[in-house]
Amino acid sequence: MPVTKVLTEGIGEANLRDIDVYRQRGGYVQWERAVRELTPAQVMEAADKSGLRGRGGAGFPTGRKWGFLPNNGKPRYLVCNCDEAEPGTFKDHMLLEQTPHLVLEGILLGAYGIGCTHAYIYIRGEFKEGYEIFTKALADARAAGMFGKKLFGTDYSLEVTAHRGAGAYICGEETGLLNSLEGKRGEPRLKPPFPAIAGLYGMPTVVNNVETLAYLVPVLKNGAEWFSSVGTERSKGYKIVSVSGHVQKPGNYEMPLGTTVREIIEIAGGLLPGRKFAAVQPGGQSSACIFEEHLDYPYDYESMAKAGSMLGSGAFTVFDDSTDFVKAAFNSVRFYAHESCGQCTPCREGGHWLERVLHRFVEGRGLASDLEMIERVGTTITGLNLCALGDSIEPFLISVFRRFKPQFEARIQREEAVGV
Amino acid sequence: MAQNFEFSLGERRALAPTGVIRLKMADAQELVNLTIDGVPLSVPKGTLLVEAAKQIKQEIPVYCYHTKLGPAGLCRVCLVEVEGMPKLQIGCNTPVAEGMVVHTQNAKVNAGRGMVLELLLVNHPLDCPICDKGGECDLQDYAMAYGRGSSDVADPKQSKPKGVDLGPTIVLDEERCVVCQRCVRYDDIIAAESQLVVKDRGHNDIIATATGDPYAHNFTGNVTELCPVGALTSKTYRFKSRPWDLVRTQTSCTQCAVGCQQFVDQRSGSLLRAQMVESDDRVSDGWLCDRGRYNIGFYTADDRITQPLYNDNGTFVQVGWDDALSMWAKAIREAQTAGKAIGAIGGGRLLNEEAYLLQHVFRAIGTQNLDWRAGRQAVATPARTGTYQDLEKAAAILMIGETPEERAPVMWLRVIKAVTRNGAKLIRVATADKAPNIAHVDAKSVEEALSLLPAQGQVVVVWDGIDTSVGAKIRDAMASRNGMGLIASEQPNARGAEAMGMLPASGGMDTGAMFDAAGRGELGALSLFGVNPVRNFSNPERARAALEATPFVVVSELFMTETARLATLVLPARGAYEKSGTVVNIAGDLLPVNASVQGPVGTLSDLEMLVGLAQQFGLPLPTVEELERTVIEKAATAGPVALRELHGEAAHDTIARPARTIWDGGGTAAHDPRITRMLADKMIPTELVEA
Amino acid sequence: MRKQLYNVGAILKGLSITFRFMFAKRPTIEYPSVKKQHAPRFHGLHELRRYADGKERCIGCELCSSACPANAITVIGAENTPEDRKSPGERHAARYEIDELRCIFCGMCEEACPTDAIVLTPRFEMSDYKRGALIYSKDRLLVPADAGVGAAPDERPNGIPGDLGRVAEIKSTTDIERGYSATNRGEILKKQTRGLAILPPQREDV
Repeated sequence: MPVTKVLTEGIGEANLRDIDVYRQRGGYVQWERAVRELTPAQVMEAADKSGLRGRGGAGFPTGRKWGFLPNNGKPRYLVCNCDEAEPGTFKDHMLLEQTPHLVLEGILLGAYGIGCTHAYIYIRGEFKEGYEIFTKALADARAAGMFGKKLFGTDYSLEVTAHRGAGAYICGEETGLLNSLEGKRGEPRLKPPFPAIAGLYGMPTVVNNVETLAYLVPVLKNGAEWFSSVGTERSKGYKIVSVSGHVQKPGNYEMPLGTTVREIIEIAGGLLPGRKFAAVQPGGQSSACIFEEHLDYPYDYESMAKAGSMLGSGAFTVFDDSTDFVKAAFNSVRFYAHESCGQCTPCREGGHWLERVLHRFVEGRGLASDLEMIERVGTTITGLNLCALGDSIEPFLISVFRRFKPQFEARIQREEAVGV
Repeated sequence: MAQNFEFSLGERRALAPTGVIRLKMADAQELVNLTIDGVPLSVPKGTLLVEAAKQIKQEIPVYCYHTKLGPAGLCRVCLVEVEGMPKLQIGCNTPVAEGMVVHTQNAKVNAGRGMVLELLLVNHPLDCPICDKGGECDLQDYAMAYGRGSSDVADPKQSKPKGVDLGPTIVLDEERCVVCQRCVRYDDIIAAESQLVVKDRGHNDIIATATGDPYAHNFTGNVTELCPVGALTSKTYRFKSRPWDLVRTQTSCTQCAVGCQQFVDQRSGSLLRAQMVESDDRVSDGWLCDRGRYNIGFYTADDRITQPLYNDNGTFVQVGWDDALSMWAKAIREAQTAGKAIGAIGGGRLLNEEAYLLQHVFRAIGTQNLDWRAGRQAVATPARTGTYQDLEKAAAILMIGETPEERAPVMWLRVIKAVTRNGAKLIRVATADKAPNIAHVDAKSVEEALSLLPAQGQVVVVWDGIDTSVGAKIRDAMASRNGMGLIASEQPNARGAEAMGMLPASGGMDTGAMFDAAGRGELGALSLFGVNPVRNFSNPERARAALEATPFVVVSELFMTETARLATLVLPARGAYEKSGTVVNIAGDLLPVNASVQGPVGTLSDLEMLVGLAQQFGLPLPTVEELERTVIEKAATAGPVALRELHGEAAHDTIARPARTIWDGGGTAAHDPRITRMLADKMIPTELVEA
Repeated sequence: MRKQLYNVGAILKGLSITFRFMFAKRPTIEYPSVKKQHAPRFHGLHELRRYADGKERCIGCELCSSACPANAITVIGAENTPEDRKSPGERHAARYEIDELRCIFCGMCEEACPTDAIVLTPRFEMSDYKRGALIYSKDRLLVPADAGVGAAPDERPNGIPGDLGRVAEIKSTTDIERGYSATNRGEILKKQTRGLAILPPQREDV
């Protein structure tokens, strides 16, 4: 299947950061049309009918998510999650820096669709340049009358605020993000209540990914059927896949969902010369690895789940046979232990414990009893956590631990004595 | 004598708070049927599983959940299995649902809990032998009950600072912390101080103050009890004892007039700690202030008086009790013979039984010059008393006068609850005091404050009882709208003294009039019980002059106070933890006081002294049963007394006083070196420390 | 005649036992000039041990006192200060008293001790004329700092090691001078005595 260009259209060809260029290429037309001609319900319906699912990781149908908002007269908020911190994911980064107006138009459409009058975008702390680009885009769009009071002569007013985070992975979790946005410590909240009921400042809130919102623009332009006509039965439309790892041309590739894993590797230039395929992590650091037997699986939400992993945020990391999976597992666990907010026990203590054990393995000081411990602790802590971060420690670790166990066993210290 | 007052507590206990399970009542009327561990039960809709399980006496272990703080979902130890749900659920945040089938004990649940406990112990130090919590630690208990019994941990435990000085009252052991955040949430929700935060992240999480300043406010000690492990410990109790050494007594705190229920723990005659009674919803809502918790060391202070002292021309000499009592009686007889007045002041710091006997004995001796008032307060019983529950549910709270948040600290926690959680409007008549951390409106005058009241809803007035002209205004304004009042008295049992009749009647003199009479040389003998007018009277100089002019002054005290130094005879008294009886608190509840230690050898309770004095005069005394019955009767039937002005300058504060803090009242804190050291120059005014 | 000879034989037979024991080794030990060696794990007088660096092993945890079936041990803990560090860690025993009159020498304290601080030595002579002298407080229980480090309980040599004798030698303590009342137990008793009888008996039914 060929690479398609929907969101990525024009990137690298024109200076899409310039609002005039963006408008010449048809930008903000859908936004103006939506405000002038469409009701919010129609926008929501388009999102629902298109089959668009959350591109941030969980893959929850966007229209259904919006539908959870209660009609209780309270103000509603739309928060665009641009805290793209999942290792291996770099699509939002690109959209934010290369086509900020598309991102903004998506936010505006989403805000209109749920009937909110103040939308926020939470930008990852490390995206300094992206934040500056987007702030300028906001100023330009405001000057051009794209948002503000009484838009396009209607009664609808909308404000957009960009907020830059301070660099914590946990603030990409939607409730952690909301806490951080409120100025609190970036810790996930206890659910229920879910953000749709009590989110930002206790009000009904929708948190959507950058890519999800951006897809609203082409969906409105071309119609929901256009979007739902591609993809597989339950995974509709297009997806930007961030391919990284042991391939010849890593990068962002936009393609319809359902492209096979093998095809994606080929799109990215194939494996490095002379190497053999070992594993693919198809959905970011939080997903389990899939292996040779899954190479012909279509890259969609259901097939990835069937393969024991998930599509996640579309971070597609390829490992070839040169990979030291003990080191890779240690690196992954160290990341989660480092990024754990420390609120709940399994993630705080479990991550730290596994990190230390794997560190010993990396140094060749593993214990035979540790093998049983990794399996037991790794699998048991999943499902006990407050948020998804703690549950994300297990998939990669256990999938490679089971598949490449000899690599782990080779690191066991012969004498049963650890210098502890 | 004290033991004789361990009378049948049936009636008193009935008035005391009882343990009530607080259910989270979302919709109290609607009942939901479910099954927990095979036992069917019906609970109100919205009840959390952890509370529902208590109804069938099935414990679900918790660390971060607390009835008064609500669920946080952090510790993950309250795991239960709910049939139909693939993952284990946390009992603390899962509301009941119709037909729910819950298992709190099965292989799957135990595996999950065992895992959580194993994880908690990965970095928790096993220094239980030297931990203050060892023996009453939730982590120990649950690890024994639900733990695996073995662990695969082969790595060293993470090392963090121990014995971190968190503030004047608290020491933090960072290694032992399980990051349940109860303390952080308490500080936020209950105390509205928001000083404590979690710093750093992941396994490096530590509890600290947000600003790095010492953790100090009036309610810091509660976190030591909320802490499920030994991470937060009290400086005063640190390493003093193990829990199993302690002998526990439940009593009412008599440090201020709120009357919080508390447990007092003593070891071989020394009071070591006071702890909150969590089920005390009626009075304290389960909390204690730092004074009620920590100011117990003065009972064993070195400068406590333990012998009657006779002032022999400026030198105090020790005398025996027999001599002291006969000297006292002789002085009263001589004054009466000489046609001079005699009088007695006190009661606000005594128990009801003592206050009753005080007026009984002195009336029998033949005087009506009786008054409990020795400070600035003029009245202790409001026209219509509100309860603390009324305060909590009030639509508007009017705070008038001197810092009720410092005079009645735990009542202030109710105000916080009313304002921050129940949406009450708080109106203060502006004083120079620090502004509270919660939403409030400052008014310039009582009239302005009254005009700010919402048109509808219950109003509760919190007043200091000092300026009776203000009192009259409030009374008149409240009469039309059925408002309620709470008078934050400066003496703990002021209301009890008032109810027991320690007020001048039919031609008797009040405190001010007695002082005037003394100045004119008309007062022959004056007996003071637990009062210190030389320090606390509205015009201390006038009190000093009056006492100097009175030929025979008897002072019953624990310490050589400013007043006691002017006395002819000083009688060593017992404190409230050393005697049993009852008190009446601000809200009019009759509360039991139970002796937890015996007083030092040589001291007597005021009741015993009064009995001794009565015997000197050959007066008939009521029996214990009669006394008990009369006290209960009087406390129950005592209505509001007329707003009366303390003769002379009661309403006018003639001297500049340092801002009042919770540590002032009575000045006892100054006698405990632990407290003075702990609070250094932070909280106690210098004059108090030197006193 | 035969009968008489038989009698003589019986006498000689009886005397032979007497004479045999007359020359046999005598089991009586001439205590106190001669002292018997006890079994290595004999439960005698307690001692509190130190670490090699001279710090006290006892951390004041009171596990010995809670394990004691005779309720003979009193421990009161206190915090180590940076200036005066008595034991490793945060806590030490400010008071440590064993009432040897109550002690049944069962060794439960030794079992309970998490730091091997309290051990029972084979020393058994501790009779005295004063009751107070038999409440051993910390100054007599603690091995003197200059006496070196005692061996672990199970590795004790037979008999009475030299350094243990030193512990029991120290007797000129204030606690003995002031007697029973100087000890914690004495203090409690003192407090519990309500020494006042100023009021006639009828005060009981006031």
